[in-house]
Amino acid sequence: MGQWAGYLQLILEGALVTIKLTLMGSVLALIMAFIAGLGRISRFRAVRALATTYIEFFRGTSIFVQLFWAYFVLPLFGFSLTPLQAGVLALGLNVGAYGAEVVRGAIKSIGREQYEACIALNFNRWQSLRHIILPQAFVLMLPTFGNNAIELLKASAVVSLISLSDMTFQAQVVRAQTGSTLMPFLTILVLYFLMSSVISAAIRGLERYLTRGLDGVRS
Amino acid sequence: MPPINETRTGTTGHPPIIEIDGISKSFGAFKVLDQLSFNVAPGEKLALIGPSGSGKTTILRILMTLEGIDSGDIRVAGENLYQMQKNGGLQPADENHLHKMRAQIGMVFQLFNLFPHKCVLDNVTLAPMLTKNTPRKQAEEQAMQLLEMVGLANKAKSMPSQLSGGQKQRVAIARALALQPKIMLFDEVTSALDPELVEEVLNVLWRLSEETDMTMLLVTHEMGFAHEFADRVLFFDRGKIVEDGKPDEIFRNPKQERTQAFLKKIIAAGHRV
Repeated sequence: MGQWAGYLQLILEGALVTIKLTLMGSVLALIMAFIAGLGRISRFRAVRALATTYIEFFRGTSIFVQLFWAYFVLPLFGFSLTPLQAGVLALGLNVGAYGAEVVRGAIKSIGREQYEACIALNFNRWQSLRHIILPQAFVLMLPTFGNNAIELLKASAVVSLISLSDMTFQAQVVRAQTGSTLMPFLTILVLYFLMSSVISAAIRGLERYLTRGLDGVRS
Repeated sequence: MPPINETRTGTTGHPPIIEIDGISKSFGAFKVLDQLSFNVAPGEKLALIGPSGSGKTTILRILMTLEGIDSGDIRVAGENLYQMQKNGGLQPADENHLHKMRAQIGMVFQLFNLFPHKCVLDNVTLAPMLTKNTPRKQAEEQAMQLLEMVGLANKAKSMPSQLSGGQKQRVAIARALALQPKIMLFDEVTSALDPELVEEVLNVLWRLSEETDMTMLLVTHEMGFAHEFADRVLFFDRGKIVEDGKPDEIFRNPKQERTQAFLKKIIAAGHRV
């Protein structure tokens, strides 16, 4: 049993890398989602085109390919990234592209009457967005953002392919050293599930917090 | 009180605060407003009545710049609403011009359009703080006075979802007043309310007319209220003004056949005029 403690240690170190990747990737994804999502509804055609290109490109190619580009191809153009940087970049840009559509959809779903009230109260476009539309739309984005964050957590396993020692990578190391598949993969199965449960609970809590006092306004 | 009678014939000392000159507006093939013209004197209380689809709400929405016009001219306080002087010529209004013009006009909507994520007080203070840089403390003092006036000072910290329809509408009125507009537009402000809540909103309008000299345009189906409250009534039908006169003339002795038919229908439906 003593040897398992050492191997568990290895997997927990990997879990830390996975958590780091997920957190940093989610932050980048959130930023990209808002930039591209707002870009999609911009008044300026060029901004809309740029946002659409980003979204379609990152949704339309696999995260695996994007990761290899970030880690192996970009250095050929003079951008060298550490495995962690490449992982965060690929995960953040990829999930951000999905999030952008969530941002756009939620903003579009806020009723016209809210925009009209903003005009009647003489808010400019930015003030309307910042104080009236986004706070209401953000609550609508949350459940899907939670899904996206969980997707990102699970997709983060792909970084083991560029030799980043995340949880999945470490499980494979343990498997190679011990010959046992069950123990390492049962362990990370449970750990992935726990991590995604934390994300779900956090999103639910945030949603409850943001909708207090809104009873009867939306479900 | 401004000299209401004279303004109707356009021979007043006061220039009109709203001049509408030959405006037309279509939604697709449907012509909502057809070469419409009328003036409003400062301080005048004008009721716009008529069957639904006659264009009366569209007029208010155009004045609030929620809809554009296809042709014609609108001047508010002497300045063109949809065009501005620039480089020695008239050009379509930009955001700055619209911003300046909107500051003179407030609007209250049929469905209140309160901000559901803000408490009553924040609903009222937000506009002065954002558009006039009023400090929060001053904005809140002013908001409390307005909430006092509409009888809702005790609801300042409530969320809109906790209010009745009549209370929501009174908050919406306070919110529009917080910008101290010269002109207030009321778009069927009691139509969405349960009958027992109509009066509390109408009472606020009475109070407003007693305590301020604001120009008010009301689209309403409350004929009894329009009769007592308004200085002047416009009857709309199919995008045109069919009849324009004092409430007594319109409600007691309508000259036009279409006005008579409309009022007959309203009375038959059990409304008091």
